[in-house]
Amino acid sequence: MDLLERYLQAVKFWLPTPQKQDIAAELSEDIRAQIEDKEAALGRPVTEAEVVAILRQIGRPVLVANRYLPQRYLIGPLWFPIYVFVLKIVAACYLVPWVLVRVGLALFDPASRAGHASAGWLGALGSAWSGFGLAAVLALGSVTVVFAALEAQGKSGFLEHWDPAKLPAVRDPRRIPRSGSTIELAVNIVFVSWWLTAMRSPIVLDRPDVQIAFAPVWSTFFLGFLMLSVTNVAAAAVNLLRPYWTRPRAAVRLATNFIGSGLFIGLCRSSIVASLTVSGVARAQTFLIAATINRVMSQAWPIVMVVGIVVFAVDIHRFVRATAAGRPLAGGVPHGGLPNSAAR
Amino acid sequence: MSHGIPSTPFESLRLELRRGCLVIAVMAALRSEQYGYTLRRLLADRGMAIDEGTLYPLLRRLETQGLLVSEWREEDKRQKRFYRLSPVGKLVLKQLRAEWQSLNTSLGDIL
Repeated sequence: MDLLERYLQAVKFWLPTPQKQDIAAELSEDIRAQIEDKEAALGRPVTEAEVVAILRQIGRPVLVANRYLPQRYLIGPLWFPIYVFVLKIVAACYLVPWVLVRVGLALFDPASRAGHASAGWLGALGSAWSGFGLAAVLALGSVTVVFAALEAQGKSGFLEHWDPAKLPAVRDPRRIPRSGSTIELAVNIVFVSWWLTAMRSPIVLDRPDVQIAFAPVWSTFFLGFLMLSVTNVAAAAVNLLRPYWTRPRAAVRLATNFIGSGLFIGLCRSSIVASLTVSGVARAQTFLIAATINRVMSQAWPIVMVVGIVVFAVDIHRFVRATAAGRPLAGGVPHGGLPNSAAR
Repeated sequence: MSHGIPSTPFESLRLELRRGCLVIAVMAALRSEQYGYTLRRLLADRGMAIDEGTLYPLLRRLETQGLLVSEWREEDKRQKRFYRLSPVGKLVLKQLRAEWQSLNTSLGDIL
């Protein structure tokens, strides 16, 4: 019965001390009874292989022991769906941008590659990868710790006390919130007014004590941003009147955001500050300040590009969704089938 | 009884269905005193096979809830733990039996 003793020892290993002996004794009695039944049926003592078969049928010691233990969760079934939802948000809003910025810097920013002169962009990527591990562990670990604390706290009231009347309205993914369109319209009108009055000339600041002049290429950026903003004013006005994404409007938004990102990247890389004059400050000093502004902008363009990629992805998603007309939405409202009265 | 993961939807639902019935079956069988192995054999003979990994934790849970009482006693030169229904367990079994019969009638009508 050496095998049986070894099995019971393995089960006891996983059991809490106060229950070890009691559970093992009862299990031992059951297994011995099974062996005796088997021997009675066979008319001879069981072989070791037959004992092995009985123990195998009872199960792995850790599993057998686990059945005697109370069910414990780090994060239980009540909190788990919310936990997964928060993890997805953290991944989408923190980890994905983190990766995109680091990859962008590793590929396009000479300064971030400087520390990996021998390995180049590959070394910079490797460094980013190792940093990602720490960032991911910290972000996801923090969320896990918070939810484990909520689980350990037991009833918080959050899951028990709720009001069905406060549930959000059925979401229509093609609906454009009027509040958003109103804000967009107002911001773009203010921007266009300011742009036309204050930014038309390359000499963007011309005060007795400070003068800032942009490079001649400014006229291109000025016109580009002006046209984009005017387009945005028109699009926001249309969206306000007819608050549902259509294919053409989604395409216009995609195009303006794409061109806007391109213009911004171009602006960052254009060494736009041509001259800076500050009364009482030496020419060499102001030259250095202008060069610093240009350098910082130049270094920032990968970040602008990453933001542009994220915006572009959102726009593509919206465009694809807007083209899916005819498919029923949740609640049975057909895509593209909303009457104008409902849309208003 | 297999310890494995149910391989088909039927197997999974069958196990789920039996799990609830096992508690009543165990309690009903313990109206007379039994120790673990004879209880298992009794249930198996009546078509309610239950493996030791399920039965013993269940017996402990029912005992913790005050529905069973147990004692270690020597029989056939071996120490065995005998279980039987407590007075509270008898009352709860009566209620469960009524519930089961009501459920059985309702389900019979639906099926």
